[in-house]
Amino acid sequence: MSNSEIRMFIDGKECVGSRGDTILEVAKKNDVTSIPTLCWMKGLSSIGACRMCVVEPEGSGRMLTACTSPAEDGLRVNTSTENLVSYRRQVLELLFAGRNHFCMFCSQSGDCDLQTLAIEHGMDSVRYPFLYAPFENDTTDVRIQADHNRCILCQRCVRTCSEKVGTCTLGMKKRGWIMTIEADFGSTIGQSDTCVECGACAQVCPTGTITLRNLAYRGRRRDCDAVVDTICPICAMGCAIKVYVRTGSIVRVEGTNVNGPDGGQLCAEGRFALPYSSEQPRVVHPMVRTGSTFRTVSWGEAIDVIGSKLKEHRGSGKMGALISSLATDEELAVFSSFREAVGIRTANYNDGSLRGFYAGIKPFVDQGVCPFTAAHNILNADMIVLVEADPQKILPVAASYVRVAVLHRAARLIHVGSGATPFPGITDLEVKNLFDPKLTGMLKGAKKPVFLLGASVLSNPVAVTKALNFAIEHRAFFGDGLGIVPLLGHSNVLGAMNTIMSKEDWLGGEEQDFLYVYSTGMVPESSKALSAMSRSGFTVIQTPFLLPPISNLGDVLLPAPAWFERSGHLCTLEGERRQLSKILDPVRGLKGFGEVLQALCEKVGVKMGNPSTSPCENVFASKISPDLAKQVEVDEELERSTQPALAGRLPREA
Amino acid sequence: MAKPKVASVWLEACAGCHMSFLDMDERLLDLFSRVEITSTPISDIKEIPEVTVGVIEGGLGNEEELHVARDLREKCKILVAWGDCAVFGGINCMRNFIKPEDMLREAYTDTVSTVNPSGVIPHVDLPPLLPQAIPVDRAVKVDVYVPGCPPDADTIAWVFNEILEGRIPKVPSQMMRYD
Ligand code: SF4
Ligand code: SF4
Ligand code: SF4
Ligand code: SF4
Ligand code: FES
Repeated sequence: MSNSEIRMFIDGKECVGSRGDTILEVAKKNDVTSIPTLCWMKGLSSIGACRMCVVEPEGSGRMLTACTSPAEDGLRVNTSTENLVSYRRQVLELLFAGRNHFCMFCSQSGDCDLQTLAIEHGMDSVRYPFLYAPFENDTTDVRIQADHNRCILCQRCVRTCSEKVGTCTLGMKKRGWIMTIEADFGSTIGQSDTCVECGACAQVCPTGTITLRNLAYRGRRRDCDAVVDTICPICAMGCAIKVYVRTGSIVRVEGTNVNGPDGGQLCAEGRFALPYSSEQPRVVHPMVRTGSTFRTVSWGEAIDVIGSKLKEHRGSGKMGALISSLATDEELAVFSSFREAVGIRTANYNDGSLRGFYAGIKPFVDQGVCPFTAAHNILNADMIVLVEADPQKILPVAASYVRVAVLHRAARLIHVGSGATPFPGITDLEVKNLFDPKLTGMLKGAKKPVFLLGASVLSNPVAVTKALNFAIEHRAFFGDGLGIVPLLGHSNVLGAMNTIMSKEDWLGGEEQDFLYVYSTGMVPESSKALSAMSRSGFTVIQTPFLLPPISNLGDVLLPAPAWFERSGHLCTLEGERRQLSKILDPVRGLKGFGEVLQALCEKVGVKMGNPSTSPCENVFASKISPDLAKQVEVDEELERSTQPALAGRLPREA
Repeated sequence: MAKPKVASVWLEACAGCHMSFLDMDERLLDLFSRVEITSTPISDIKEIPEVTVGVIEGGLGNEEELHVARDLREKCKILVAWGDCAVFGGINCMRNFIKPEDMLREAYTDTVSTVNPSGVIPHVDLPPLLPQAIPVDRAVKVDVYVPGCPPDADTIAWVFNEILEGRIPKVPSQMMRYD
């Protein structure tokens, strides 16, 4: 028996735990499921607010809250004595008597932990006087509602908002029975300056208090036809999600990574755009433009039209393809083969940033070191340096990491750039340039700094290289690579960088004779991309949703499977390739990307090679320990073109 | 042996519980063979006789309902509260946040859809309101609670069966619902 090991008895069962564990933790480790909880939540601090988890140490007549009481060696507790059960029922009755619960029209009825527990405890009446105190229903926010009539003051929302999202929007006001949660010290959720509408509070709320307004009443969990584990396909955080499906619609999306660094949070996009996406109008048939309208055609005819254009322009050097950087590795690989076969230039939605980034990191990749670190390592940094970077806009959950590191882990936050810091109030230093002595001075005291690079830095190879040199100079070394987090937005930017990134910026240049666009319809196309689409001689647009502007821009419009109809892999910035799984059966008559490209090759009379993908872990994994990375020389000439925030040099030590 | 008698009343509620009772379908025939149904909202006897089982659907919101609840309590051996309104007060209690007068004014004159130019609020023809709508057990003792809005027909059938077999049932968790 190791020193830290303890043995205790729960309902007579011998349970092993470690010193420092709470009774509840020991119970969980030993598969004891007889302790009900309400305010406790995995991954959040324990506050012992609800008293559902009470247990009785044998022979003491006392009650202990299992979620906060330390387990002790030799301790014997019971979890389900008559006394405890009746105590818990009293607690539940008091919760019902103190607020205004009308389950018959509550959107969470059937999915509510309070209701479930009350029923489990046989609460067939309430013996205490109902208070009928009037509480408000905060409907100030268009997406998130807080009906205080149903709140049990468990503070799961408050703790999640602080400990996981780091906005610290929610708090408690007043005391006793009239205590309520509040936003921004006396404000409402709708009027809050700090709330990022991530909906994490609604996901953890065990009652019908905080709910997502447009997603309420879409179906209880148990009424859903399917539940699928997959990832959010929007940004490169690739947050793990559980998707609930009912009658062919996505009705609810929940973050599942509760044990992971993100704690199961999602951002507003993932939370709301994903469920709405299954309600959007679809492109269901191939369509060919005739004048100002489209004519529905068969797949055969569509392939004929596109194939003849392909033949006509082959070898003209003015054929291009713009592929979404939200496409899966598998789709990108198929396209690479297609590109080889027909000879077509490619670009992706993030080409600008990626090209600069790739050139800038190349010398470090060549050394065998991964030039960036998993985004969640922001949580392990003691100093976070934002270089023209606003993670909330690009990788929202990474912004949570920044806030949490600063607020709960005492990391220092520095903003480098021409504008104001995106984290007002928690930024320790704001400077214009990375070589500012105030910053380099502070960095001397840092053990593990991390640098977040924004788009204007990423598109500039010299700036990227200099940032990496700077990171090495300041010992920004993490287990997996150098302490750089590039704010590259789309879900498979790294995959795109591996496969279809073009060497030169042709997209904004001369008109194309032929342009093939593959969109996932989940992010808006840039104005540069849209202008290329409207300026090219012949444009094929394959997209899942019939949504302007792009559904109006093609000469041929092809249906594409939507994210929920596809599966494959995405290279996330969380340091791993993650699996996107199919959720719904594709709408009838849909053809996948590969199938269409194969048909086109046959039409043109070329053979497509076997597509292969290399998982991004293999492409970028460090082959040497990151602290062995060496700084590289930056060409004096090129130096002049540096992004302003990186102009300058470190004073060289003599 | 004479069949045990059952009486039921529909107080402040939507009649959903009695609908759920009718949802027992063919099991009703079996029940009718075992009990004698006396006064109910769906039969013609209006005076509550002495019965074995009294059933109340609905909360208590006015003097008349209070009177009926007391009357039934006196005349029955086992009193069953059917549904969230009878058990917890239910939706009727949403008026408890404001005074009865304000509630009447809201209902009979102030609502946008109401046309009542002379502002008449019913008073003679309606029994006086209680200050608050209350669950049945705030006025009389209840023996069996059957929450649900409405309770399932299965639960209602199960409760009758238990009582007829001589037990005072407590609805088990698997059957209990609040919606
Ligand atoms: S929060 Fe739960 S207990 Fe309260 S009304 Fe809603 S479903 Fe019922
Ligand atoms: S939506 Fe997110 S940021 Fe806003 S209050 Fe809820 S948890 Fe906090
Ligand atoms: S709003 Fe929900 S999560 Fe927050 S304290 Fe109330 S019941 Fe708990
Ligand atoms: S942070 Fe990115 S991956 Fe996560 S939910 Fe938001 S958009 Fe989706
Ligand atoms: S779960 Fe332990 S007190 Fe709430």
